[in-house]
Amino acid sequence: MRVKGKHEFNIPKQRLWEYLMDVEVLAKITPGISKLESLGEDHFKTHSQIKLGPVKSTFTGEMQVTNKQEPSSFQINMEQLSKIGNAHVVVQMNLEDLEEGKSALEFDGKANLSGVIARTGQRVLSGVANAITKDVFKALEEHIEEDNTLA
Amino acid sequence: MTKYIGKSVKRVEDKRFLTGQGKYTDDIKMPGMVYAYILRSPYAHATINSIDVEAASKADGVVAIFTGNDIPESIAGVPCGWQVDFKNGDTMKEPPHPLLVRKKVRHVGDGVAIVIANSKAQAKDASELVDVDYDIHDAVTDPKAAAQDGAPLVHEGVPNNMAFDWELGNPKEEVAAALASATHVTELDFVNQRMVPNAMEPRSAIGHYDTAYDKYTLYTSTQNPHLTRLLMCAFVLGLPEHKVRVVGPDVGGGFGSKIFHYAEEALVIWCSKQILKPIKWTCDRSEAFLTDAHGRDHVTNAKMGFDADGKIVALQAHTYANMGAYLSTFAPAVPTYLHGTLLQGLYTTPKINVDVTATFTHTNAVDAYRGAGRPEATYLLERLIDLAALEMDVDPAELRLKNFIAPFDGVEQEGYVTQVALQYDSGNYAPVLNKALEMVGYEAFREEQKNLSNGKLLGIGFSTYIEACGIAPSAVVGSLGARAGLFESAQVRVQPTGKVSVYSGSHSHGQGHETTFAQIVADRMGIALEDVEIIHGDSDSVAFGMGTYGSRSLAVGGSAIVKSIDKVLEKGAKIAAHLLEASSDDLEYEGGKWTVKGTDKSVGFGDVSLTAYVPHNYPEGLEPGLDFSSFYDPTNFTYPFGAHIAIVEIDKETGYTKLKRFIAVDDVGNVINPMIVDGQIHGGLAQGIGQAMHEGAIYDDTGQLINGSYMDYCMPRADDFPSFEIDRTVTPCPHNPLGVKGAGEAGAIGSTPAVVNAVIDALWKGGHKVKDIKMPLTPERVWTAMQD
Repeated sequence: MRVKGKHEFNIPKQRLWEYLMDVEVLAKITPGISKLESLGEDHFKTHSQIKLGPVKSTFTGEMQVTNKQEPSSFQINMEQLSKIGNAHVVVQMNLEDLEEGKSALEFDGKANLSGVIARTGQRVLSGVANAITKDVFKALEEHIEEDNTLA
Repeated sequence: MTKYIGKSVKRVEDKRFLTGQGKYTDDIKMPGMVYAYILRSPYAHATINSIDVEAASKADGVVAIFTGNDIPESIAGVPCGWQVDFKNGDTMKEPPHPLLVRKKVRHVGDGVAIVIANSKAQAKDASELVDVDYDIHDAVTDPKAAAQDGAPLVHEGVPNNMAFDWELGNPKEEVAAALASATHVTELDFVNQRMVPNAMEPRSAIGHYDTAYDKYTLYTSTQNPHLTRLLMCAFVLGLPEHKVRVVGPDVGGGFGSKIFHYAEEALVIWCSKQILKPIKWTCDRSEAFLTDAHGRDHVTNAKMGFDADGKIVALQAHTYANMGAYLSTFAPAVPTYLHGTLLQGLYTTPKINVDVTATFTHTNAVDAYRGAGRPEATYLLERLIDLAALEMDVDPAELRLKNFIAPFDGVEQEGYVTQVALQYDSGNYAPVLNKALEMVGYEAFREEQKNLSNGKLLGIGFSTYIEACGIAPSAVVGSLGARAGLFESAQVRVQPTGKVSVYSGSHSHGQGHETTFAQIVADRMGIALEDVEIIHGDSDSVAFGMGTYGSRSLAVGGSAIVKSIDKVLEKGAKIAAHLLEASSDDLEYEGGKWTVKGTDKSVGFGDVSLTAYVPHNYPEGLEPGLDFSSFYDPTNFTYPFGAHIAIVEIDKETGYTKLKRFIAVDDVGNVINPMIVDGQIHGGLAQGIGQAMHEGAIYDDTGQLINGSYMDYCMPRADDFPSFEIDRTVTPCPHNPLGVKGAGEAGAIGSTPAVVNAVIDALWKGGHKVKDIKMPLTPERVWTAMQD
């Protein structure tokens, strides 16, 4: 399953980078994530509850941030395991400065699914994945706004 | 004489099926029974680094857990029952198919461990605690891609994933020369997509080792208990056959997928000996999607050449056939001897060559599925000839009629010898098409099609098919690579009171044998239908059997019954002659009694049967009893044929295609029970049309089956079909005593190309000269085709 999209933020890419690299921010904005434990530099253990189309389960797994080119790009590698199947995700994230202090985050990657989640409802999953991504970015926007207000 | 044959006698088995009293494998409960769940690979291609069962073995209710490494090396994998060697003489590649994987998984669903617990739920829960560490590798799922250099390999030692290649017919150069001389050549690249069989009853197996008798019993949802016993005992577990009983009780549909011997059957038997408890395994629907052997999956290029008069001059076909990860029981026979040999079709094509490359992929095994090879052959021929008619702007029905083989009855005129190794038994092909044209109102339809003004497109599609059924002569299939004979057995046991028990080696799993076979026995013996019982499916009561598939039960199993009836009546005549103090030559048998010709002296069947078992006043030297067995091995296949016509209406805005009418005229030889044959045709049509319009298994490029549930795999429903318009012609089979040919698969064989041809016809008439649309013809695909 391909995951691909782009989202604009009202902050320059350097600041966006800092938010994205903040574990606590990530844990806060990602839907379903109940716990993010550090396993080393840029390497985390994750616990999440995700509803994928018709099925819902608890996923545990690892997430690694690699190929960091501050502040322009990085890669996320995830392996998520659950009773209803596993997901292996590799996503390339590219940050780009836009005019007026704005920036864009472009992502493109692949999620290899197995088990029940692979064979049940996969045709609706990319829609679900897009919805999840939208939620993440919306939460990030809200977090940035909140952060700015506090400052 | 025929009180029952030819009559639509209501099915005697339906009372128990319709009132929920059928007894299927999963209905069987035994004291002390435990339940198995099989942990399966979630990956298509991966190396197992380790399996940790410790946590799982401590889970509630767990009795035992076995992995591949627990099974001794002496136990072989599941064997293949048909050998097709390479063109150059090299032996077919037949890599082992272990009961449980030891090191490497090769498709999603490959068995990794069997978890046995006091309930199925406990077994399933515990299986989630088994920790398997995998290294995941790249996978290949397409049969053509698998043969290319650099494709991921499914098995070590199988270069280019090639199981075998195979060729049949005239030399390629001759076919190429004929195509070069043709005035028109139609060429088509197409896919015959992968099908999930979807029997209503999921597969189930119970293994029971009885220490008291040192005997094993396997209850299993199978189409052929004896073959399963033979394969399991002789090739997998090394058990003495007389110590193993295999029972296929009521079975809820198979469509081919329950012919094969599966790993789970041998597993429950082996495990039951280890733990000394009866073990039941019943797969859930999701497992059925992953592990019931699939059907079709051919990637084909074909060329058909015509001369200036529209006569076919040559046919060249090349097919990549997907075998899946392992060779299932009959898999090699399907794209070869059940497909290549049928490419003569109903036509006089003088030059034919068919070339098949069979490859392994990281997918579930592919094997016989309703029609098995013949639907693929029919699809190839009928798509080509319909497309050729469009390209040459000639009438598709005319083009077929022009190329049909002339009538032959197989008695006065010899059977027709094809370019591809068969001799057809009897055939008269024009009448089925003419009758279908009459039923459809062809001329009026073409007028309506021209003058359409409702934003829709109308199309008509034809398919005229032949199939080889009643498989078959053992010597012939043996020479073609079958590792089994394909005869059938029948025992007719007359009880002292004149009631008759018939033990048949055929197996009924929806076909209605208990009715059709009883009709034959009752008529031939002149007794009441209620006085006959058909017993099948138990290796302890039936002498032997090759089971039911390939539309063979009536032609082969029915003929075996006739042979035994003949023996009963011959001996009965001797007893009757003794009782009547006449010569048996002077007797005639009718209406359940022997009569001395020209007199009113007679003796009834019941008196004779009683005398046979109470032989006080009895012919000298004659053995008591009235009980005969026969084995019938036919001299040829049977060759049913027919003409199918589909009419579709396409919505131009959405591509939604409605099947408006479906006409099927089939010739299945003599018909014993018209209602049952109608039902078989209806069911076959639903499956064939389902393939054309709805169904298809989809693997993604990592080897995941991404539509493995009824939410995602589209099964046809009643409201997808019009009321079928069906009729028959009758061309009896000349070489079996019943003159029957077989009807179980005809509907699925003929119908698929008719529907696709109708859609293509509609598009051409609407100005879209599209050569092919991939099945299933979803609205999206049809809409896309109209945008070019």
